[in-house]
Formats: sequence, C-alpha cells, structure tokens
Amino acid sequence: MAEKSWMYAVLEGVQQEMQQDPKMSWIFELTPPVASNPGMPVINLETEFGRKRVVNTGIDENWMASCVLGAALAGSKAATYIPYQGALIPFEVIQNVAGKLRHMTGGKATPGCVWVIEMTGQTPGFAGQHSCYEEDSYYAHIPGVRTVIPSTPYDAKGMMISALRSSDPVVYLYPAGLRTLQGEVPDEAYEVPLDKAAVRQEGNDLTIVSSGAGMPGVLEAAEKLTADGMSVEVIDLRVLKEMDTETLVNSVGKTKRLLTVDQSYYTLCPGAEVIARVAENVEGVKFKRIAFPDAPPPASPEMFTWMRPNAGHIIEAAKKMV
Amino acid sequence: MKYEETNKATSTEVDAPSSESRRGFLKLAAISGAAVSVTKRGALANGEIGFWAKDLPDDKLIDMYRTILKIRWHERTQADKMLADPSYRGYNHFYAGQEAVATGVCAALRNDGPFEQIDLVYSSHRPSGHAIAKGVDIPTMVAEMDFRSTGMNGGYAAEMHISDPSVGFIGADGMIGPAPVIASGSAFAFRARESDQVAVVFAGDGNYAAPHFHSTLNNAKLLDLPLIYVCENNLYHQYAHYSYSCPHKDISDAAAAYGIPANVVDGQDVVQVYNAAKTAVDRARAGGGPTFIEAKTYRYYNHWGAPGAKEGELGAFGYDPLAITSFRPEREVRAWMQRDPVDISRKILIDWGILDEARAAEIETEVKQEIASAFEWAMQQPLCNPEDALKHVFAEGTVPARQFG
Repeated sequence: MAEKSWMYAVLEGVQQEMQQDPKMSWIFELTPPVASNPGMPVINLETEFGRKRVVNTGIDENWMASCVLGAALAGSKAATYIPYQGALIPFEVIQNVAGKLRHMTGGKATPGCVWVIEMTGQTPGFAGQHSCYEEDSYYAHIPGVRTVIPSTPYDAKGMMISALRSSDPVVYLYPAGLRTLQGEVPDEAYEVPLDKAAVRQEGNDLTIVSSGAGMPGVLEAAEKLTADGMSVEVIDLRVLKEMDTETLVNSVGKTKRLLTVDQSYYTLCPGAEVIARVAENVEGVKFKRIAFPDAPPPASPEMFTWMRPNAGHIIEAAKKMV
Repeated sequence: MKYEETNKATSTEVDAPSSESRRGFLKLAAISGAAVSVTKRGALANGEIGFWAKDLPDDKLIDMYRTILKIRWHERTQADKMLADPSYRGYNHFYAGQEAVATGVCAALRNDGPFEQIDLVYSSHRPSGHAIAKGVDIPTMVAEMDFRSTGMNGGYAAEMHISDPSVGFIGADGMIGPAPVIASGSAFAFRARESDQVAVVFAGDGNYAAPHFHSTLNNAKLLDLPLIYVCENNLYHQYAHYSYSCPHKDISDAAAAYGIPANVVDGQDVVQVYNAAKTAVDRARAGGGPTFIEAKTYRYYNHWGAPGAKEGELGAFGYDPLAITSFRPEREVRAWMQRDPVDISRKILIDWGILDEARAAEIETEVKQEIASAFEWAMQQPLCNPEDALKHVFAEGTVPARQFG
C-alpha cells in the first residue's frame, strides 16, 4: 500500500493484467502509457511489453475502438485509451455493434474489451471540440456495455482490473481532471465490482449523489455541511450502467431528500436517471438536481467558472432542502 | 482528367523557370528553394510552366512578405508574454516556421467581397497563421486568445476555435478528422449553386490516419468538388513523427490513389506555395475538381504553449514531458530553421529587385509595431460577463442556469 496518483494506479492495474495475460494488448494515440510516482518504479507499457502488444497508432479513434473489439472476438483481451478530442468518435462501434453483439448472437459472441475514454470540460480555456464531459450520458444509455466512472485512485485501479477481467465490453470513463488525484492504493492486483455504488459518507438528513469529477466538489461541500451540523449521506455512483438502484433507494428511503450533482449537461445527466429510479421506489422525497447548463462550455474563465457546478452551489442547494 | 502532376520528377530537378518571363533573373532565386525542392512537373496549357509568381505585382509580393512577418511577430510577441507577463492568459498552438504555407495559399484566394463570392478557408489546427493570412482583424484575434468579451468570438472560442466568416475564415476546430470533410461540404454547395468559389482546408500530417481524410478525397473526386486540400506536413502530429501514422514518405501519394492531382511543394518558400495554390484555384474555378497540395514544412515551437512557461525549462516551448514515445531532435529543429520562411521571402524580394535590405527591415519594424499595438489594445479589453455564457446556444434567447439547483 502506498500513496499513488490516479494515473499511476490505472496503469499499474493494466501492467499487472498484461503481466498475467501474454495475449493482452494496449492501443494508444498521443498519450503514451507511461506514469511515474514518487518512490515507485516508472511504468512504461511500451518498453515493458514491446511495440507489438503496445501500439502507438495514427489518430484514428474509430480504428482503435473497433480494433479492441475485433481482438476480443478473436479471443484476445485488448484495451485502448481514447483521448478527449476523440471521445465520441468510437460511439458508433460501441453503440451499434459492441453493445448488441452478445444479445444479437443469442449469447454466442464474447465482446469483452475495454475503452478508456477521457472526459474534459472541467477546465476553463478548453471549450468547443475540446470539451466532452457529457459523454457520460451518451455511453450510459447503451445496453450491453458496462459504463463505469471511478473517482478515487483506489477505485481507478480496482475497476480497471475488473474491467479487463470482464467478459462484457466496458466503457471506462476517465475524468482528465482527476489524473493527478492522490490516494492509498494497494500494490497487488485487486478487483472493485462493476455494479456497486459507494457510500462515501453516512448521514440521515440528505443524500447527495454524484460521480467522477463531480465527487471532489461534493466531498468538500459535505465536509462543510457536516461541520455546520447537517447529517449528509454521500453516494459515489461509480457505475452508470448498470446503475446500483438498491444503494440509492436504501439511502433516500432513510433521508427522504435527494440532491444530485453532475458536471454533465442538465438534460439526461446521470442525476436525472438517479432521480427517476428513486422516485419510482420511494414515496415523499424532496428532489433537487444541480448540473452544467445545457450550453457548451465557453473558453472564457469568467463565463466557465460561473457555469460549472461547485461546492458553493451544493452547500446552498443543500441548505434550502434541509 | 490527366494526372501528370503526380509523376515525380528526378530528385535533381528544381523549379527554375525556362520560359521568357518578365523577370529575367529568376534562376538565382530558385536556388533558395533547391535544398528540399521536390517538384512534380505537369504539362500546362499554352506553354505555361506554372511559375505564376512571375505575374504578381510588386505590392502583392510585398504583402505576402508582410503577412509572413505578421504571423511570425504575432507568435513571438505572444510567446514573450507567456514567458514574462503574469497577467497574460492566452495559449497557442504555434505556427511559426510554417508561415509561407498559409500565406502562399491565401494569396491565391479571393479574400475581399461579399460572403457569397469569397473563398472559404477551414483551419483544422494551428489557426492563427491561417487566420492572419486570410485577413482577420489581428487585434480582435489577440483579444479572443486572451478570453476578452470584445474578442473575435466574444471569448467563447479562444485560440483553438477562432472563426471569422466575414473574411471567409470559417475557422478552426483543433481536431484531427472533421474539418476536411466539412470543407468538402462547402465545396459541394459551391458546385451545386454554380458559384466559382473554392473551399480550402489546411490539415496536418496527422490527419492522414483519420477515416475523414479518405472520405474527403474520395467524395471530392467523385463529385469533382472545388476543394483544395493543403496538407501541412510538419513531420509531427503532436509529439509523434508522421511515420507512426502514415506509410508514405509523401502523403500526396495517397491523394494520387484517389485520382486527385497532387503536388509536393517546399512549404518554406512562399513563391512555390503560391504557384501550386494558383494552379489549384484555377483548376477548381474552371470546374476541374479538387487538388491536393502537400507542403513540406516544420514548426519551430513545441506542439503548444501556455502562460507560465519558463525559459530554459524543458526548452520553454521545446521539449514536452508528454513526448516520451517520439520527440524532435534539437538538430532537426535547427536544420529546418536554416530554411526560414521569413528569410527566404525577404531574400527573394531583394533578389528580384522589389525591396532593398533597408526597406525590408523597415517593413519588419512596421509589422512589429502593428502587432505590439494589437496586444496593447487587446489587453485593455473587458473580461467576459459570466451570465453571457447562456447566450448563443440557439439563434434566439438564453438557456436556463442549472448549476445552482
């Protein structure tokens, strides 16, 4: 166990799986699979496993996404790292092919592969084609594809290993803003389930639900609200497909108040699905949804930082609800 | 359609003129382009050899030199601000080293007039050079890059997405892929409405790998679209050498496979670029369909630069920590700097008797002053109003704020 960055934790998981499985490959463009961490050996997948298994391609996300699926259908595990500018280019092959294959073939196809897909839109200055945080909603909508979004280095490694061991196709969302987040991460390989939300803090007055890059702001707000005497339960979704309804219903059944927080666009954000599932199962709940407005993130820091949901917004909304 | 232009000349050939031109001393000038000249000779009508610069008036040639200087000094000034001015916030994907490409191409286009008549430029990446060459207002571009509300796009776009349709600069998306296909859509519209406008897309060597590249060329040829694909081969997409993404030494070989006339030109020599662009524009306006121009060029700075850069650290805008797989040898950078587009254009004009050293230096001083004033104006512009973020989502009205719950 040691303090590791998110980035290092993810690659450590990939490295350990590649050491176990000599058939496994990793495909990337632009972002080399290299990570360092104080006091730890540098991980460089390209030099460790060679350029036949670890491939730096041309900029062609459609090929990368299709290639790992084709490898799966041929019986080899493969994963690819799609950087943010191309985050939705693989959509067609994931939505129209990978997600349907097992069902369509009456269970004969085994399309287990991993698409690591970056998310940006969290930082001023990017804007336009360089923001894509809303991809969580798009990918979560696809049947037959497991869509996960870790928010801690511990989960990042454990969910990467589970994703690589899964026989289902997995969209592993990678919030770029969390890349340098530090946390305790075991050195050995371990799994974190691909179907369970995590209760990060227990409480009785209010349930706050978020995921991925929304979590740091939620935890900051929860700490301040707790200090102010509110009893807050915090749930980190971790998994968008299939969403862990049970954990959500159990929590809101107790608190009767639900606040969802998303960095994704308001319309059809993950919080909208959370609210719908809770509304179907729990009577007499007070709901509130915080999200990014239905507008593309602008470049200007003044406009962007005003739009992005933050701890202050969460605290204010929570206080109005309790 | 004939494809003579795709037949490679022998490596010793240079672009020396052989017909009687109004400038009898062109042979000397051609030497400046000899080092990497990779002419692909093509048969042209009426004894033309395609050295169209012979017909350019002096003031137009001087304008081209001035444009190259504007692009260069815009970036040098910006890089200095990144290094030295803590209040400066803009970032850039640098174009320095490639100035002759945008300048030579845009000099062959129609840039003034009503929107329905001017030629359109799509800049996929490194847009400030394309934008200046197409004729955008530099002070408002500088303001946009520093997120000011009076910037060219009101602070919404920033460097990677600048756009000014009023001069035919459709703009940048900072992406590998989409721009060429969309540019072919504009060319499609020109053909459908029987306009003689042309659409130009600038895209880097990295674009070769994207399916969009191949879709663009196939459809442009199938429909004979007035599209000029300018492939700026600066050898690197971000940090990876183009050999990682393209099996051809000359990317233009791929265009030839689609049946499209293709040229390789020395992208450091504005005259060679202009000549190739003029041939392409003439062909497109006459209904002869698309042309592919591969300009061999080089960027001096790293992939991008941002405020807070420290001189000497990681080469300031040189070596990047992410560039682990493949990065540029310093000797390669320096070798290309020996063939600087500013120096080459200046030398040509002096050699052709259009300028003398003193006037050339004076023009550079004027340009530096113009750029300095642009930055001075831009830095005094107001910052954006936060609530304006909810405007311009649709043609009318605003969308609701959702971030407060």
